[in-house]
Formats: sequence, C-alpha cells, structure tokens
Amino acid sequence: MPESEWTMTEADRLVLSAVMDLIVPSSDALPGAGEMGLAEKAEELAGQIDLYGEALRRILDALSLEPSARAEGGFAALEEDQRIAALKALESNMVKHFDKFVDLVYIVYYSDERVHEKVGWRTGPLQPRGWELPPFDPTILETVSKREPFWRRV
Amino acid sequence: MSITHPPTDILILGSGASGAAVAWRLSNSGFNVVCLEQGRWIKPAEYPNEHEDWEIQARTNWAFDPNVRGLAEDYPINVDDSPIDPLMFNAVGGSTIHWTAHTPRFHPSDFRVKTLDGVADDWPLTYDELEPFYDAYDELMGCSGINGDPANPPRKERPMPPLPIGPDGERMARAFDRLGWHWWPSDSYINSVPYKGRLACNNCGNTGLGCSRGAKGQTDVAIWPEAIKNGVELRTDSRVFRVETDQNGKATGASYYDADGNENFQPAKAVVLAMNGVGTPRIMLNSASESYPDGLCNSSGLLGKNLMFHPYAMVSGLFDDDIKTSQGALANMILCQEFYETNFSKDFVRGYTYQVARSSGPISTACGYMFGRVPWGADHHAEFRRRFDNVTVLGVIGEDLPEEHNRVELDPKLTDSNGIPAPKVFYQLSSNSRRQLDDAIANAETALREAGAVHVLGTALLKAAGWHLMGTARMGDDPASSVVDRWGQAHDADNIFVVDGSVFVTCAAVNPTPTIGALALRTADYIDRERSDLKS
Repeated sequence: MPESEWTMTEADRLVLSAVMDLIVPSSDALPGAGEMGLAEKAEELAGQIDLYGEALRRILDALSLEPSARAEGGFAALEEDQRIAALKALESNMVKHFDKFVDLVYIVYYSDERVHEKVGWRTGPLQPRGWELPPFDPTILETVSKREPFWRRV
Repeated sequence: MSITHPPTDILILGSGASGAAVAWRLSNSGFNVVCLEQGRWIKPAEYPNEHEDWEIQARTNWAFDPNVRGLAEDYPINVDDSPIDPLMFNAVGGSTIHWTAHTPRFHPSDFRVKTLDGVADDWPLTYDELEPFYDAYDELMGCSGINGDPANPPRKERPMPPLPIGPDGERMARAFDRLGWHWWPSDSYINSVPYKGRLACNNCGNTGLGCSRGAKGQTDVAIWPEAIKNGVELRTDSRVFRVETDQNGKATGASYYDADGNENFQPAKAVVLAMNGVGTPRIMLNSASESYPDGLCNSSGLLGKNLMFHPYAMVSGLFDDDIKTSQGALANMILCQEFYETNFSKDFVRGYTYQVARSSGPISTACGYMFGRVPWGADHHAEFRRRFDNVTVLGVIGEDLPEEHNRVELDPKLTDSNGIPAPKVFYQLSSNSRRQLDDAIANAETALREAGAVHVLGTALLKAAGWHLMGTARMGDDPASSVVDRWGQAHDADNIFVVDGSVFVTCAAVNPTPTIGALALRTADYIDRERSDLKS
C-alpha cells in the first residue's frame, strides 16, 4: 500500500467485510463477498498493487469519518439502508478511488473457484486445455467473395 | 566505472517486432550484431495463461500499461496530458509478447494520403515497394489468413489457413453479408496449424498475455532462436540511456546500465533504434550532445513530434443466445473495412476498420472492459449473468493524422529506476478523429443489431488503448520535414537507423506491426546491399 505505515486493524477488516457484502451481495447459491471470507484476499491484493491499496485505504478512511457511522458506533453498526446510502455518497464524491475499490472487490470475488462454479466458468488456467472450435470453412465467404475489388487504386 | 565491450558492426536497441527482424536479416548476411534489451527472457511457464490467477495477473504484473505493471524493467510514462495511455511490454520479444497478433496490412492508398485526400503527407515509398517485405515478415512470424479479400490488393498466399472464426464470428459475418458490407477473416500471426516447429493455437482465449504454446508470433519464439543461431548476441537486462556520437555527429555506440546498475559502453559501426514510438524518441532526446543540442539527429526539430495512436472506440453488443463469446483467439475473428477509404460525403477524411473481438473471463466482465462495469449492489448478479460470455465487440481502429502538438518529451522530474528521464506524452484527439469515431460507433450499432444484439453499448474513446505508438521520428525525403530518410537512415548521421513505428508518416486504420516488420526488413536489406562499410 502506498503509505507503508498504514495497516488494517481488526475494525477495518470488519468494515471491509461488511462493505464487500453490499458490493457483491448474497445470491441463490452463495453468500456475499464479505461473508465468503474474501476480505483477507482483498487486503492481500491491495498490499501488492498500489492503486488498489490506495483505493482501499481511502475508502476505509472515508467510511470511518462518515457522520452516521460515527454516530452509530461504526459502519458495521449501521442499518443496511444507511450503509448503502453511505457507499452511494462515496461513489459520487470519490469516483476514482471508489471505482478502483469496486474493481478490487470484483477481482477477488470473481477469481474464487466457488464463484466460477456458480457462473459456469471453467476454473483453472487457460492452458493447456484451450477450446475445440471447428476449423475455418471457406464456404462462408460465398457472399463477400462475389464483391468486386473496391480498394482504392493509386 | 564504465565497462567497455568489444566493438560490433551493428548495435540494435530493442528486441521486439522490428529489432528482432533486423538482427535476423543482417546476421543472415554475415554482419556481427549485438542487441541490447532492457527486459529479460520470459519462460513459457511464467505466462499467466498457465496459472489459475491469469485474470488477476492481467490487471497487475501483466497489465498492458507499464504504469500499472511497474516492473523493474519498465519505465514510467507521464500521461497527465493524454486521454490515451501508451501500452507496451519490456522483455525479449518486446510488445509482441503482449499483442493479440492481428495483422492486416496498409492499403496502397495509405501511402498517398496527401495526394489523394489533401491531408498529412505521402510516404516516400509505395505499397508495391513494401510488398515483398510484408511477404517476408508474414513468413517469418507465421501468418494465418486467406486470399480473395475485395478490400485489399491480391497478394501471395499466406503460410497458413485462417484461424477458426467460431460461431460468434460467423454470426457477425452473416450480419455484414445481409447489410452488404465488407468483411474478411482476420490475418493473424497465430498458427492455425503447426508452423516451423511451433504448435497450433488451441483457442484458449486470451492471446494478449503471452502464449506458452509458442503458437503466437512473438519474436522471442518466431525470430530470435534463428538469429541467435546466426551468432547474434542478445544481451538482456541492458537498459540503454544514450546513443554516443563523435564530433562529426556519427554514432560510436550506446551506453547502458546492466542488471547490477553498472554503466556499460557497447561500441558499434552503426546503431539501430527499435524501442517503439515512445521509447525511441525518449532515448534520442536523452542523447543530446554538442553535435545534437536538441536531441539525437533532430535538426528538423521533429523528433518526438507527430505522435499518433490509433484512437480506439469500442462498441459492444450483448446477445441473449447460447453462443459462448470467450472461446477462440481474443481479437482475431474477422474484420470489416467497409468504411476504410475516404468518403467525401462524410464530415471527416480517411476511415476506419472494425476489428471484431471476443469477450473474456468473469473478472473482465465484472470490471467492464467490454461492456461497462457491472453495477454493484442488489442488481449485480442478474446483470452479471446477462453479460457474461455474451458480448461481441467491434473495436474501431480509426486513422489518426499526424499533428506536431501530439508529442513525446522528456519529463523534467519523473525517471525510471536507473534515474533515466521518463517520457511525457502530450496528446489531443483531433476533431477529425472524433467525427470518424462517432460515425464508426453509429455504424457498429447497425451491424451488431443486425447480428441480433439485444443491447449495444459504445465507448467513445478507450483510455487504456495506446497499443500503437507511431510517428515520432518520421521518414521522408526532405531533411527539414523528417528525421529519417526512406530507408530509415537518419538524415543527420548515416550510421544511425530507426526501424520501429516512430518512422511512420501516417498510421492508416489498421494494426501496425506487419508494416513495422516490413519496414525493418527493408532497412536491413538496404544496409546489406548498400552499406558494406558497416560489415567487418
């Protein structure tokens, strides 16, 4: 993370997990991204890549200063509609960092095998399996091949 | 203390699309060649496609953007004054490691834009002059494709048949047919069948992350093995910071830092710059000297100027059938050049190509490279399901025209890890390009709707799309209006050559690499024929 002294506290982790559940909520088959235990992975990735680290730090800082959260004893103590309102305010006021933060949550969520199974994605490396596709069939050129050459002579 | 190496005939700076071609060609003819590359060899097992977290790597240590990647071998680029970010890769193979290997050629008209359309400048050479070198580069890298395209001149048979266009490509092809528009299977430097000891592509999907099968035409596998067999010394982890010159302005070699940070000097009879349209002007500007106070071979004042990208718009169609849109080479299905040439009834000159491309994995879908970001919150899952594996993209490659205010300079503060000044890019999208892209977006929607798309989304200008870096050391016959001559030889010094996209006079509306490779082979051919004084 860009400010090397900054490390997440247990309270930060609780907030991060709660926020992740709002970004990617539970679906029929799976709990939300936070409840799936992905906050740790998000923290790890943020520690490796500055732009995600900075986004995470700024979003958590902003949430800790959010007035309703302070009044209620922290973001995690807010009602769900209050939490969503707080996030929407950040989305409007901190566009760049919020965007990166959402990317961070999506990256860790959609790299999880459980999620791959849910969405029907073949998990694992792309190689060496690849995909079978029928070889090129030149009969599909029948129509376009009949066209007269139209490149511009010079 | 500086380490001085034994002299060589030809010193090439950069091992990518052009540097490798020159090394191969000149070493075939008995020149002694040394190539300096700031990156390293990448082992096949390192490529992200061999790893479960390939989509994460595509956004981190394997990102196209060196500012995101931030590896030791990268240099930062100041993009504060550019709406488009330059993209590149630094390794043996250069950006051919990363590219999607879509390889159309310039049209004959692209070399005559001043004569035909009254804009920019004509090239000092013709398509016909370049054609044999296009053929040679196709052979070297391995081109898959098929003859008969009515939008392009007839040409020599490609070494391999086209890649499969897949059901998604067929869907778009039939839509173009119904509209009476042109389309043709993409030319690709990707093996559709085994080629010269390299495997055929197995359609894994993400061709933009390096190919561990060796099926993609990357110079590390397609050219370097033979060049090294010929005796070329390819020196990695070697970061050039200055081309050295004597009192007459001729090159004497280049200075560079090795992996340990030691300063080295490699003497040579001639220096060939092949570091791309940003990297080459950067080092030439950093090579200012008494002979060249404004940068190496910059008597024209045009070094670094006339930077062209291809400004990209992207138009994505969302389909609701069962065709999977992520299976097959990412950007190599078909292209459409219905709107390639100037149409004088329009409000812009020159034209554009549609490069029909596929979608990618779940992270790419969620983060929205192809179709905007999936919204967070209650609607997230339903919207993700609608988009995932259901998007076909018409990438718009419009012809950018050269403008001097679009340029590369040295940043006064930013440096790489060796303290070498970083480039700063200044770029403004021209009103001609804007109108061109707007026209393309409207027509793309027509095509995607015809193909059955239920929803179409246009991205007016992609920021992370500076794949093509061109024009910053342009060629020409007049030393007052160009940096190098028709052979890529600097007007100011007859032993300094530029062979990358920097030499482009105009950029056409197609991916540039076959043209870069052909020009590089042509320069090497010239050196071999005309410059025996450079051979020991």
